[in-house]
Amino acid sequence: MKNIQITTAIIAMIIAIGSIPELKGQDLTGKQIIDKVYNRPTGDDQTSDLTMTLINKSGAQRIRKIKQFTMDLGAVEKSIMFFLSPADVKNTSFMNWTYDTDQGDDQWIYLPALKKTKRISSDSKSDYFMGSDFTYDDLGDRKLEDDTHKLLREETIDGKECYVVESISIDEDYMYSKTLVWVDKSNFIGVKKEFYDEDEDLLKVLAIKEIEKISGIWVIKNSEMKNVQKNHRTTIVLSNIQINTGMSASKFSERMMMRGL
Amino acid sequence: MRDKMRTKGFILILLLIASQYTMAQNPDISGFARSYEGVLLKTGNFGIVQQTLNLNFEKRGGKVAFKANPMVFLYNADSLDVRMRELYMDMYFDNFDIRIGKQQVVWGKADGVFITDIVSPLNLTEFLLPDFDEIRTGVIATKVNYYLGNSTLEAIWIPVFTPTEKPPQGSIWYIQPDFPAPPTWDFSREQITPSLESSELFLKYTALTSAIDFEFMGAYTWDDNPTLHVQKEFELDPNSQQPVLTGLYITPEHHRLAIAGGSFSSEIKGVILRGEAAYYNGKYFLTEDPLEADGNIQKNYLHYLVGLDFNLGAVKVSSQFIQQTILNYDNYIQNEQTENTMTFLARYDMFRETLHLELFSYIGLSNSDALIRPKITYDFDDSFSILLGSNIFVGDEGGRFGQYHDNSMIYTKIKYSF
Repeated sequence: MKNIQITTAIIAMIIAIGSIPELKGQDLTGKQIIDKVYNRPTGDDQTSDLTMTLINKSGAQRIRKIKQFTMDLGAVEKSIMFFLSPADVKNTSFMNWTYDTDQGDDQWIYLPALKKTKRISSDSKSDYFMGSDFTYDDLGDRKLEDDTHKLLREETIDGKECYVVESISIDEDYMYSKTLVWVDKSNFIGVKKEFYDEDEDLLKVLAIKEIEKISGIWVIKNSEMKNVQKNHRTTIVLSNIQINTGMSASKFSERMMMRGL
Repeated sequence: MRDKMRTKGFILILLLIASQYTMAQNPDISGFARSYEGVLLKTGNFGIVQQTLNLNFEKRGGKVAFKANPMVFLYNADSLDVRMRELYMDMYFDNFDIRIGKQQVVWGKADGVFITDIVSPLNLTEFLLPDFDEIRTGVIATKVNYYLGNSTLEAIWIPVFTPTEKPPQGSIWYIQPDFPAPPTWDFSREQITPSLESSELFLKYTALTSAIDFEFMGAYTWDDNPTLHVQKEFELDPNSQQPVLTGLYITPEHHRLAIAGGSFSSEIKGVILRGEAAYYNGKYFLTEDPLEADGNIQKNYLHYLVGLDFNLGAVKVSSQFIQQTILNYDNYIQNEQTENTMTFLARYDMFRETLHLELFSYIGLSNSDALIRPKITYDFDDSFSILLGSNIFVGDEGGRFGQYHDNSMIYTKIKYSF
């Protein structure tokens, strides 16, 4: 069984750097810019199909498919994922509860072969998700206070005027020495992000390739994370995205994990 | 042998026809094909040559679902074993679900140890070596789950008793019992006739919360292992005129057990703490007490575990301590009063999760013996894996693991999943 221990729903992360608050930035600090990126409307609930493609340096591909559901219940955001492929993880499900407070995430995994729902540790932020180039931390909800944020400059990339903000973790043991994010000034979408390793060398680059407004919410449909040191990359494509469908909170339960889709 | 093969071949053809038919109904079909070969280190002989086809047929709707899970094992070149691991139907209602048919039920928080996990008996024909998802036997049961928010009340009724499956004579896993006199076996009381009176009942309450997950369970069941009732036969020694034990008349019989227990798991600063315990009321144990006419005595019994799961860097580690204790013990009982065991698991994934290193061990603390199971798995493709592993039995030959010291082996498993 592959390592399918994961953090919060991928869609939450993607939208976290892809929202469009109404405010336009004027003399904003780095922290204010990131705050606007993080705190954006995501809808009350979301459903989508996720296709993750792992591409190695020779171009060979491995594909993972997931059906995911996310719901904002106020103080807690709940998500559940059902793994569709590859075959050996099919019908495995994963549930995550993320809290607004400092409380750590609660995570469970249901392994259909073992017929068992197991609570798993959320202390695996630096592990890579299903062998991809995304760590669990990359995919999770990072809190504003976890880093110090500094506006470095303004820059135009792909015709978009962007703020370039540097974020450095308060935690000295954090896996990245720093990250740089390019935030589109017109809509506060993070369109590019660079991750630097402990030696302050560039490790990975996240590029946003396609966004779409669905039910009034901007969603990043296509993104790519490239490891520039090892020259492999991972793409994430979302499809069949539905927002604010009136999902029931009972979907986020052991019953549904075991029953599956 | 040829007739047996023909019958099983016929079953196989029926399975294939059924699969064709069910394909026409558009069920979801998944499973794996696996080739498993193991060589005994001591002799160089093959300890196992097994080809397996596992098929899952599933069809799920909003209100109903069904699953059939036939498994076909081909041992050596000509020994076919066809098993229906599961065959059940589900009905879904607003607040409860019903599952009817042959099913495997897994309870508790322990890994590789069976404490409150007593609904589905074990298939021990290859000791504890099968994967944990294959070691349980399905039971014919009706299961009702009633849901209250994030908690569940589960009731199971089993009308047909299924015992633990033991290694047959001739198997490398069969241990010849050591009797002081020649035994005569009487199996007339071993079978349990299915009836309402002989049914088994299980009840469990489960809660899954942000702070802790826990379960409480109770069962009115049969002991999956038969009690060996022993009548001793004596003759007078013509020389000494003293009675001499000349034979044993052994009657295996399953007895009722009432069991209560529970389990929990919780995360504390990134470490998962797990616990599980079961109390057995009136379990039979073999005794040498001359006052016990048939060589057995009933004692209450406690079986519990505590375990931790944590990360050491990129290595995932899990360890459990297990204790079995006979309460109100007396020295005539053949089992030790207390038996302590540990398990240890370390796992490390490499190369974008295509290479997996794992070490799992049972460690018998009471007998200073162990089963050590290192393995390395390479995912040649997402659907194709190659495993090289070893089962090493070490320690006291009187211990649960050390007794198999001749069965240490290296093995490969090549698996195609679909």
